[in-house]
Amino acid sequence: MLAIQNLAVDIQGSLILRGISLEVGPGELVCLVGRNGAGKTTTFRTIMGYLRPVSGTIGFRDKSLVNLPTYRIAQLGVGYSPEESQVFADLTVAENIELPTWTRKGGRPAKERIDLAYDIFPKLRQYAHRDGDQLSGGERKMVSIARALALDPQLLLLDEPFEGLSPAIIPSIIGGIASIQKLGHGILMAESNVHHIPEFADRIYVLERGEIIYQGKPGDTYPPEVMKVVTGGA
Amino acid sequence: MTSFFDIVLGGVFHAAVLFLVAAGLQLVFGVQKIVNLACGSFYALGAYFGISAVNWAIAAGVPPALFLPVLVLSGILLGAIGPFIEALLLTVYKRDEAFQLLLTFALVLMFQDVLRYFWGANPQQLGDIATQYGKIVVGTLQVPTYNVLVILASIAIALGIGAFLQKTNFGRILRATAENREMALALGVNVRVMYASVFTLGTMLGTVGGALVVPTAAASLDMPVELVVEAFAVVVIGGLGSMRGALVGALIVGLMRAAAISWYAELEMLAIYLVVIVVLVFRPAGLFGKAVE
Repeated sequence: MLAIQNLAVDIQGSLILRGISLEVGPGELVCLVGRNGAGKTTTFRTIMGYLRPVSGTIGFRDKSLVNLPTYRIAQLGVGYSPEESQVFADLTVAENIELPTWTRKGGRPAKERIDLAYDIFPKLRQYAHRDGDQLSGGERKMVSIARALALDPQLLLLDEPFEGLSPAIIPSIIGGIASIQKLGHGILMAESNVHHIPEFADRIYVLERGEIIYQGKPGDTYPPEVMKVVTGGA
Repeated sequence: MTSFFDIVLGGVFHAAVLFLVAAGLQLVFGVQKIVNLACGSFYALGAYFGISAVNWAIAAGVPPALFLPVLVLSGILLGAIGPFIEALLLTVYKRDEAFQLLLTFALVLMFQDVLRYFWGANPQQLGDIATQYGKIVVGTLQVPTYNVLVILASIAIALGIGAFLQKTNFGRILRATAENREMALALGVNVRVMYASVFTLGTMLGTVGGALVVPTAAASLDMPVELVVEAFAVVVIGGLGSMRGALVGALIVGLMRAAAISWYAELEMLAIYLVVIVVLVFRPAGLFGKAVE
């Protein structure tokens, strides 16, 4: 569904991605693992069209995403939850979650999409009328993921969904990701610590200095060069 | 007593018009992050175009009672230039603020010549339209009906914009875009369309403001710059980007100006700028402004 080939991205003269290739199929949870600065966020921002690649292709359901404006990429069905959640403070939780149903019409009815988003994180229902700036970090993350889901995307990009959250809340985020995957959405998730990867992930790619140095199934043992870079900086 | 009342009424009338222009400025800044100096030109253009529209209406035999709607309509129609002006701004969205100010100032100069070309260098005035609306008499107080109608129209527009921003999905998308353009894009918001719409709405607020004021004052080539100066005072006092700030700022500037004119006319601009200075010293972000992040 998502197929990236030989993607190279240059930011102000330095090559941040050096020809990476990866794939995400429908219903797959794929993790992009690497330490800070490895190029995970750059990969996501390039898929979303904020950055233009110097070379390489990004295919999404037989369409090329390269050179499309960001809003078109979203409307094609790519949902994005950035690392900082980016919940609109000026809107309520309910408005945040409903917004994608106003911008991407068609497909499933708005009510169905909104209900589905709340079903993933039922706790959000009680916060529906709070403003976006009256939430904890974990709640903001839930709103951000639920909002991306309300776009009714085939593919979801989650940039470090556990980063900065209290350990108590992480299981409910993992639970949400599992339910989204069961619904058949493909998910590409970034993570800096290989030990935080959900065990139900289908595949991991390890990114180091803009290159994919390992690809395989999640497990307990990884080659030493992988362990060196992706155990949370320890 | 009567004179004090006249000052307040004059001040509120001026504030009503000033609010419209400042609201346009705030809307455009809030969403597009561009300080649009050309709002003063839209105001002047609205005034001149309003004169032509009313003259046309008189020639067509439209009854005087409908002149106010004719003026509002002419302002709204003129707002159609908005998308074309906004297209020019495309070149400076990603550039330094200095370029943005230069471009919108260049627009002020260009519109100056547009006004001169179509309406000539001499000030233009409408006949006695405002007095045809008569006066409302309450006890010993006399109030020109036209001025009251303009104040009411401005209040209605303020409430309308408030409801539009708070209660419609388009308004919510607009607020989201103002707060975080990148995230709005990632949720499928066509920001180009948003910018063009906001700019057009901002233009209309300016042109309607100019059209409404013209029955009570002459339209002249000094209008754009005079108004930009006052509108700036309004947004500095109220806080850049805040609608409530535009309302309170316009009231303060309108009342200060009216008071200064009647008591000591030489202080007209100084009085306004004293308030600006006090606000800048004690609340640099303005009364309703958020500190810039």
